[in-house]
Amino acid sequence: MFHDRLSAMTIRIHAPVGPLADDSPQLAPVAPALSGGRIGVLDNGKPNALVLLIRAAEGLAERIGGRVVAVTGKGPRGNAATTCTPQVLATLSKEVELVLTGSAD
Amino acid sequence: MTDPDLLELADESPEALYALLEERGWGDGLPVVAPTPERVDAALAGAHADEVIAVLPPRGGAATRRAIAVNAVLAGCPPELTPVLVTAVRALGHQRLNLRGVNATTHPVAPLVIVHGDAVDDLGFNSGLGAFGPGNRANATLGRAVRLVLLHVAGARPGPGDASTQGQPSKYAYCTAESRSEWPPYHHSVGVEAPSAVTVHCGENPHNFHDMESGDIERILDKAASAMATFGVNNACISGGEWFIGLCPEHAATAHAAGWERGDVADYLFERARRPAGEFRRQFELLSWAGWMRDAPDDEMLPMTQEAANIRVFVTGGAGKHSCVIPSWGMTRSVTLPLAP
Repeated sequence: MFHDRLSAMTIRIHAPVGPLADDSPQLAPVAPALSGGRIGVLDNGKPNALVLLIRAAEGLAERIGGRVVAVTGKGPRGNAATTCTPQVLATLSKEVELVLTGSAD
Repeated sequence: MTDPDLLELADESPEALYALLEERGWGDGLPVVAPTPERVDAALAGAHADEVIAVLPPRGGAATRRAIAVNAVLAGCPPELTPVLVTAVRALGHQRLNLRGVNATTHPVAPLVIVHGDAVDDLGFNSGLGAFGPGNRANATLGRAVRLVLLHVAGARPGPGDASTQGQPSKYAYCTAESRSEWPPYHHSVGVEAPSAVTVHCGENPHNFHDMESGDIERILDKAASAMATFGVNNACISGGEWFIGLCPEHAATAHAAGWERGDVADYLFERARRPAGEFRRQFELLSWAGWMRDAPDDEMLPMTQEAANIRVFVTGGAGKHSCVIPSWGMTRSVTLPLAP
């Protein structure tokens, strides 16, 4: 009886997040091993980002026995506030196993 | 996409709702109205609940009519405001607005919603005293609903989805309405010939400027120009940025009495809000400038935006002589759409 009364008090509400879009971005699968891997650097366009990213990439390459094989910007007219071009993404996908980039200052 | 995703809640008390929001990482920190199916249905008013109005980054959430309605209820929006919210979300989805960047940046940018035309009075928006401030349900809840859509559907939570270093108060709610003036309504000036419209401009909080004594519009606008000509805003190093100038009705009347149209105000500010090119270069290593600005000698006075059309003038507020400038984040363009359900 008590349980029935309690149930009657409950309410149902809608979750506010809504569904994901059909083409929403998904995280890439984690590479099984980085050892000997090819590393890319995608410059986000922020001041000094390229210096930091290249240093980090070189340090990582040394640790895993890999190589920094690609350093690129986001493409024509790319800057810190824009996404990189599909061409840049396609090239990096083909040429490297790991990309270092950043989105903050 | 059609799963309504209903949740069971022990009761409708503020405590129960707070507990749920906290557990799920939802909400803006303020109390909410429970989005029960009955309330959400009222907000939907028979519209197709699964229709996607926009896809909002960074989460890639589908802003369906149902999701929009749920957030409208949470914010306390009365059902008649749903079309305004839907139109604002439609604007957020425009590519030129660059919502991904707006949410990803460390800048404090927040989307400002400006309601124009018949809808202002018909739906009870405040375009008068305190138009940016509290005390009016339509302004407060519509602005809040936009933020809740961003938090929930776009995933713009501080940290994983919103990188703003400090945030700003207008990230809670940022909505105002255009006052009637001697000029045609703002939306007509950007080619939207509808009885009502909604503008979304992604910018900073309003920067006040006041002039209580001048009878000539130039002296008033010189103060606006001085508020614009600062190196502290993103628009200083991004010449494509827009400026919204919110003139109070009395300042706008002074401009109109002098025979000035909106475009004349923009032209004047374009000429007056300037700093020497060399000063810009000393302040910034990276300047996203139009080509003609890059070639300017150091002593040439350069404007705070690359063309006068980037200075957008609207009228809002009540009695008094305080107006404001609202710089954009820089890499975004405002969107004005006709009000549509």
